Amino acid sequence: MIVADRKKIPQIRDMVKNHRRVLLVGCGTCVTVCLAGGEREVGILGSALRMALRLQHHDVVVDECTIERQCEDAFIDILAQRAPEYDAICSLGCGAGVQALAERFSNIAVYPGLNTQFMGILESQGVWTEKCSGCGNCLLGEFAGICPITRCAKHLLNGPCGGSRGGKCEVNANIDCGWQLIHDRAGKLGILDPFEQIVPPHDWSTGLDGGPRKVVREDQCIAGLGPKS
Amino acid sequence: MDATASDLLLVNVDGRTANVPRGTTILIAARQMGVVIPTLCNYRGLSPYGACRVCLVEIETPRGGQLVASCSQPVENNLVVHTETENVKEARQTILELLLAQAPDSRELADLAAGLGVKKTPFQLVAEGKCVLCGLCTRVCTEMMGRGAINFIGRGAAREISTAFDRTTDQCQACGACAFVCPTGAIDLRTITKRRLKPHVTGFDKFLTARPCIDLAHPQASPRVPVIDRENCIHFKTDQCGLCSNVCQAGAIDYEQSEETLQFKVGSVVLTPGFEAFDATRRGEFGFGFAPNVLSNVQFERMLSASGPTQGHVRRPSDGRAPKRLAFIQCIGSRDTGCDNEYCSSVCCMAATKEAILAKEHEPGLDVTIFFLDLRAFGKDFDRYCDRAKNQLGVHFIRSFVSRTYEMPDTQNLRVVYADGDMKQTEDEFDMIVLSLGLEPSATLQEQAQQMGVVLNRWGFAKTRELCPLDTSRAGVFVGGAFQEPKDIPDTVMQASAAAARAMALLAPARGTRVRTKTYPPQRDVTDEPPRIGVFICHCGSNIASVVDVQRVVRRTRDLPHVVVAESNTYTCADDTQTHIKDHILAHRLNRIVVASCTPRTHEPIFRDTLRDAGLNPYLLEMANIRDQCSWVHSGEPGRATDKAIDLVRMAVARTACLMPLSEASVPVNNAALIVGGGIAGMTAALAIAEQGFLVHLVEKSGELGGTVRQLHETLDGEDLRAFLDRTIERVEEHPKISVHRNTSVTKVEGHVGGFTSALRTKNDLVTVKHGVVVVATGATEQKPQSFGYGQSPCVLTQLELTDQLYQGTLKLSDKATVVMIQCVEQRNTERPYCSRVCCTAAVKNALHLRDRFPKAQIVVLYRDMRTYGFREAAYREAREKGVLFVRYEPEQPPQLDVNGHLRVRVREPSLGRDLQLDAELVVLAAPMTPRADRGELSELLRVPLNADGFFLEAHMKLRPVDFASEGLFLCGTAHAPKFVTETISQANAVAGRAASILARKQMSVSGQIAWVDPDKCISCMTCVHVCPYIAPKVNEFNKAEVQGSVCMGCGSCTAECPAKAISLRHYLDAQVLAAVGGLLGEGFGDSKLLPLYPEQVGVAPPRWHKS
Amino acid sequence: MADEPLILAMCCHYCAYAAADLAGSMRLQYPGNVRVLRLPCTGKLEVNYLMAAFERGVDGVIVAGCLEGGCHFLEGNLRARRRVERARKLLAEIGLEPERLEMFNLSSAEGPRFAEIVTTMVERLKRFGTSPLRPDPTRIERGVQEMNQQAEAMLAGDKR
Repeated sequence: MIVADRKKIPQIRDMVKNHRRVLLVGCGTCVTVCLAGGEREVGILGSALRMALRLQHHDVVVDECTIERQCEDAFIDILAQRAPEYDAICSLGCGAGVQALAERFSNIAVYPGLNTQFMGILESQGVWTEKCSGCGNCLLGEFAGICPITRCAKHLLNGPCGGSRGGKCEVNANIDCGWQLIHDRAGKLGILDPFEQIVPPHDWSTGLDGGPRKVVREDQCIAGLGPKS
Repeated sequence: MDATASDLLLVNVDGRTANVPRGTTILIAARQMGVVIPTLCNYRGLSPYGACRVCLVEIETPRGGQLVASCSQPVENNLVVHTETENVKEARQTILELLLAQAPDSRELADLAAGLGVKKTPFQLVAEGKCVLCGLCTRVCTEMMGRGAINFIGRGAAREISTAFDRTTDQCQACGACAFVCPTGAIDLRTITKRRLKPHVTGFDKFLTARPCIDLAHPQASPRVPVIDRENCIHFKTDQCGLCSNVCQAGAIDYEQSEETLQFKVGSVVLTPGFEAFDATRRGEFGFGFAPNVLSNVQFERMLSASGPTQGHVRRPSDGRAPKRLAFIQCIGSRDTGCDNEYCSSVCCMAATKEAILAKEHEPGLDVTIFFLDLRAFGKDFDRYCDRAKNQLGVHFIRSFVSRTYEMPDTQNLRVVYADGDMKQTEDEFDMIVLSLGLEPSATLQEQAQQMGVVLNRWGFAKTRELCPLDTSRAGVFVGGAFQEPKDIPDTVMQASAAAARAMALLAPARGTRVRTKTYPPQRDVTDEPPRIGVFICHCGSNIASVVDVQRVVRRTRDLPHVVVAESNTYTCADDTQTHIKDHILAHRLNRIVVASCTPRTHEPIFRDTLRDAGLNPYLLEMANIRDQCSWVHSGEPGRATDKAIDLVRMAVARTACLMPLSEASVPVNNAALIVGGGIAGMTAALAIAEQGFLVHLVEKSGELGGTVRQLHETLDGEDLRAFLDRTIERVEEHPKISVHRNTSVTKVEGHVGGFTSALRTKNDLVTVKHGVVVVATGATEQKPQSFGYGQSPCVLTQLELTDQLYQGTLKLSDKATVVMIQCVEQRNTERPYCSRVCCTAAVKNALHLRDRFPKAQIVVLYRDMRTYGFREAAYREAREKGVLFVRYEPEQPPQLDVNGHLRVRVREPSLGRDLQLDAELVVLAAPMTPRADRGELSELLRVPLNADGFFLEAHMKLRPVDFASEGLFLCGTAHAPKFVTETISQANAVAGRAASILARKQMSVSGQIAWVDPDKCISCMTCVHVCPYIAPKVNEFNKAEVQGSVCMGCGSCTAECPAKAISLRHYLDAQVLAAVGGLLGEGFGDSKLLPLYPEQVGVAPPRWHKS
Repeated sequence: MADEPLILAMCCHYCAYAAADLAGSMRLQYPGNVRVLRLPCTGKLEVNYLMAAFERGVDGVIVAGCLEGGCHFLEGNLRARRRVERARKLLAEIGLEPERLEMFNLSSAEGPRFAEIVTTMVERLKRFGTSPLRPDPTRIERGVQEMNQQAEAMLAGDKR
């Protein structure tokens, strides 16, 4: 799940204050699950934003709407008829959602209401932790199901650095040392032997450094509507 | 209505007309029409006097408008009255300015003036002026009391109220009515009466405060109606007065009521008469009764109550000052052979600790000391509580008996002399002393019980046997609570439920035979009708109407959206008004009702019933609380109170327009119980449930029933536990309603109260059973100690092992052997900060037994606090009398045991300050009682919590001691906390009583006010599942959350967290709550959502638009 | 009334609302600025309601639930406290005084405390002054009238 949290109200207010009519658009999937951009949060932000704007005497209309999924054009379609009534959209989706809206509505300013954080899971009610960096070349099979790239602050692949203290990371004593976790789990599973081998440098070519990535499934492509090059 | 026309006069007040009987005053006529006229010297029940002229109104005469006093002016035919003209207002204002000048300090007058727009007076204030010569006092004294002790004297400026010859007089009966009616506080009774003035004190507040002659006996009184204090009421004493019957417009005063004797035929009697506190004057040396700053703990309890005599502030009775140093003295009238109360009252140690904590919370900086003998914190989590008092809040606990107090004549402080830790005599002074009084059965109680043929024990409590703690000596008569033995609230509640179960077992054949069910007309379907609201605004006699301008509220309400009818009633809850409401519902096709009156907490059920009677769904009602939360609390500000009432009604109307009918579903109840654990708790519960006619599945994980009691032999009273256990097992096995599952464990429990399905696994079988309740009775065990050489020497035993050897006759000791018992082993420490409750008594019992068997042996008990509570104290005394030695040790200096070679115990005796050395032949350890090892699995299986010590956690420590928080789950026995067999038996019966309240039903109704998940909106985020304290939401086979109606309690916690707003709490829908908020500020009436402007798309949920 | 603070009190049915009733039975006097809205439990209190109330222009909100540990629904009041804390942070971000919103815990026996709470809040809000979001009183009247017209249209059978 993509985890995000809301930007501060003054920041959102300043983004939209010079517009006349603003539409807040929530997204019903990941960001709803992580309690950042669902219908409830849209409602809270809507109220908060209207108040914040009125307090500074900005005459801005703020309307609210939550769609099923901002990263799907068909759902964005629902906004299509109403959108021209607005001169700005503030999206409470992840970065992908914001851009999807921006692509669709070329004449309307689109702003992010959230800071998209990471791919992660719910640790306990109200706490989310990062689990995956989306490197495009998954190594979890070799590391006992714990990702050294995400969970080790230094992305080390060949064992912990010298800063692992009592199972905690030297970068931040509140986070577990990823390598301690890998070692513990591998030990329990009895698969410590492969760790004797040196792991060659990771192939980062599949990572973000090569520019925006694309996944293509030829069999799914519809003739004439193939991937935009 | 049949009166002839000539008797009725037509009168017009402010445009409204009515026919009123001849002789009616304008004021009364106006009131009947709902027109409010301010008054001062007018008082219901007293003759009109026309002294103050505040009630001026303008009448139309041929010569033009004329101002007259409405209270004394009778109506004439075709009279036209105006109550609010400029003339009237101006005149009233001038009058009040004059009155204000005469009594500038009167709050009542100032409020009245403010209500009429007069903030201050331009006239010169009369120095020390108070009396405004309204004559209320003289009229009440003469007309009502028939006394005439005071009257007007003098003329003109010299006119004043006085007694004859200006001297105090016998004529005055000191009833205080004059002072009561006086609006300005001008009456000083001391200048009138010759009698000594003393307040009527209230027994409930333990004589700390005065009470009026008509009052609720206490705040929780049931029925909640005031009663007349006949001993002090003037009417009952002299046949005069009767003021209250004039004032009460509901006509509720009935002087003729008298004691009645009612006869009932019953199948069973439960005695729960409680106790009385020890009469502290019997121990006069503590100063109670003459030193004002010596209070009883019951008085102090009242003082700490927010609704008590000092609103929860700790105050010295002598001077009303907050004390700086406070001391509790324990065991007054308990553990005291001098006054024949040699038992321990069980509750006072904890009660004093609680009061100490509360006192410190109420008065920060207060220094509190508790003088005690043994700190008997034997209950669940009690030791933790005391530790908190001691270590976090700094309450001083001093182990010393104070023999008396000395009152200091100048300060009225109390001086106490006690022995400090080093056994030195110390003196200390306190501002206030609280005596912890023992619990006693009162003499009347004892008499009544004896009349019923119930045998009492030697202290006057109902005599019961340890193995039948609920049965009195007379068959069919049961006992619960402190009348059986002193006990605290949880134990009392438990025993009361248990007594109910015992009684219900007898009554089982007659169950349901006298039930009458009310029938209602079918409910009208109103879903497609636009809201048609009827608003009924109550005067509540003068309770509301004297402050709130009800007519203005009615006028403002009539214009509100959807309101079809708005009217006021003198008493909306009166029978005729209810009929009237029903008529209106039919006549105007009303489909929603607002009642603006008192609190829904008491009256909502009544009006909901009215709706049902009229064929409307009961949830289509809303109440606006314009009495308890408006007129009563803003009596001095009629204008603002009216504004508030208008707002409250508008909020209610806005909400009502959005109300939806709700159906109360019902689910069938499976009348069987699943009991986990086949020890004495489980078996007793099984028998008690089965005897009431319900099926029981009793699951025992081992091969035999009996549990820990197998290791016991006798109770303290010498009852044979072995025989009892065998008999119980036999009864369980033979009972046709009980199926016993041995060698079985529960592997799955699904469902909800009334409808559980569980899987029971034996070695090679899996059985599914259906049941309506679950009882956890898994018990506890004695933990084998790891310390004091246990296991290294055969001469180191636990108390249970010693018991066993004593009864098997296998114990061998030399003639003059020394036996050392060490108490509190591996408990009451940081690792196990709780008390096992039974070990002190076990030690005493075993010591007495040893004493019998080995008369020359020396028996030494090393203890921290002897917790032989209740009647067990007598055994403790007996042991001491028989030469058992009790030596206290401090936890910081525990006994040392050398097990190499001889057993040698070394212990520091704190009062001597020396080490004692004991060469023991046998050492007995009081090992802790610990819950079963597999408790965690059961806790997860049933989703019920454990406390920090691993015992199962009940729903509420005091009020629901045998229930889990989730409905339909119960617990009893030592799985709940360490306890004696007799207490386990009580608790097991209590479970049966509580379980029967569910099992006896064929159907259980599910409240309409529950949460509901819209599956189309649910995104399966699990938030609701995490948030709900009752585990009501579950994920269904479509991977969507679903709230189980019979589990949901309707708190709304899930609805407030659901990020997709997929969950709504019925009756508190967003639209309904927001409509009320909007109604307050005139926004969002009938809040209709905007329809989307785009076509609906196949497979796409319509989006949720709404506009600011 | 225009310059007097208007306070909405969201009270739980079991404790706070009962305490408010008790204040009435005891005839305690407190300022008439407060309008009580009854909730089954403060657990039902949604942040959205708090926002909606301030947006519509109330000057302050009192949230009143059971004593901690004394909630009729086990922990509704604890959850409510967290929501109130969140709403207060939001108010600060918006630019309103967070102290306009406060949660109190009281038992049903604490009538005097209810009166005291109202008195404190009224005094506090008098210091802050009227909410800058408060609509002028005529708008309330107008709102009622507008809605009334709509309602009458509905009653006349002209649904939607």
